[in-house]
Amino acid sequence: MNRMQNFKNGLIKDNPVFGLYLGLCSTLAITTSINNAIGMGVAVIAVLILSNMIISAIRKLVPDDIRIPVYIVIIATLVKIIQMLIQAYAPALNSSLGVFIPLIVVNCIILGRAEAFASKNGVLDSALDGLGMGLGYLLAVLAMSLIRQILSTGVLSMTNPFNEAQVLFSLRLIPDNYTISMFSAPLGAFMTFAFLAAALTAYKNNIHKKEEEAAKAAKIEAAKAAKAAKEAA
Amino acid sequence: MNKQSPLYLAIFLAIVAAIAGGALYAANSATAPIIAANEEKAEKASLLEMYPDASIDDFVSVDASDITPDHPFVDKVYKYGDNVVVFKCSVSGYDGGTVFLVGIDAANDLVDGFKAISNADTKGIGSRITEPEFAESVIGKQASGQLDTISGATYTSTPVVQAINECAVIATEID
Repeated sequence: MNRMQNFKNGLIKDNPVFGLYLGLCSTLAITTSINNAIGMGVAVIAVLILSNMIISAIRKLVPDDIRIPVYIVIIATLVKIIQMLIQAYAPALNSSLGVFIPLIVVNCIILGRAEAFASKNGVLDSALDGLGMGLGYLLAVLAMSLIRQILSTGVLSMTNPFNEAQVLFSLRLIPDNYTISMFSAPLGAFMTFAFLAAALTAYKNNIHKKEEEAAKAAKIEAAKAAKAAKEAA
Repeated sequence: MNKQSPLYLAIFLAIVAAIAGGALYAANSATAPIIAANEEKAEKASLLEMYPDASIDDFVSVDASDITPDHPFVDKVYKYGDNVVVFKCSVSGYDGGTVFLVGIDAANDLVDGFKAISNADTKGIGSRITEPEFAESVIGKQASGQLDTISGATYTSTPVVQAINECAVIATEID
């Protein structure tokens, strides 16, 4: 199996959010600001890599009948530890992400990758798969939160997650009177998601079409060559 | 032992759960003090917003376990100076309700300070309780007497005003 290809698939073609439609609940809820998106994305990456590695390491020990409860216990433990760390060192992030940190436990990306990939592959491959999928999730929530934050507040800004008062950068792109507050509501989340998912599908279809055309052209070329060879004979 | 036997499955799951529990215990004992300190800091930060001239040590926590059974909206009670009792209250409103701090001068029955921490009612209507106008309208008034609600946002402001009235009575019982 090609490792690099696997990793790249998770980022774009099989992007967990826009390609596989996994873990949408948190995606729709937390993408109101870039800060939330980055915090959530990093938490998901950490949980995904660690759970993939642990599950892959013990995949030969775990009896088949109880693998799902074992995976859930491992994932829940990791999520709880990460939640405690966020609570201790980034309390502002904790209050804005709220219930969606503990809900990483039931995020289907993580159990899905454990079941589909980590339980069948080695530790290093699983870690890479977790990183790829996690970065794909981060990219997806970042794209959504960029669009939603800029349209709903008109400001592109980010604060230091470890110190709420410290603003890293803040840039007003749309004047105050022309913002669309709808985009901070769930309606805006669904619309943003639909447009981005459609864009990715269109991109994938485009690639597919090009591949098909290339295959067709190659076939014609081969046929022509065969004919020429025949004539020459 | 047979890998499929129920006993093996039970023992395996128990071991996994025990390891998970141990890891959680370690993480919890490492982070619990930091989390508690953070919460206290956040709690007292809003007290300092209400009384900008005070320092954190001026507020003394009062044991609220006698008060809360009869007045469930009271979350926390602090004493500030000799006369002022500060209540942290959360009341229901039109939708999500209001969390606020009110300082009551018990000796003179006056509202000494008011600060709305959060309001989850309709934005632009109920949320007016968090604007300075409401705080200015109650500060300096008789705490157990008639206080003005916000016209147009009575679902939000009436429970707040009623809670202030009740706090005025509780404040006289705290020494």
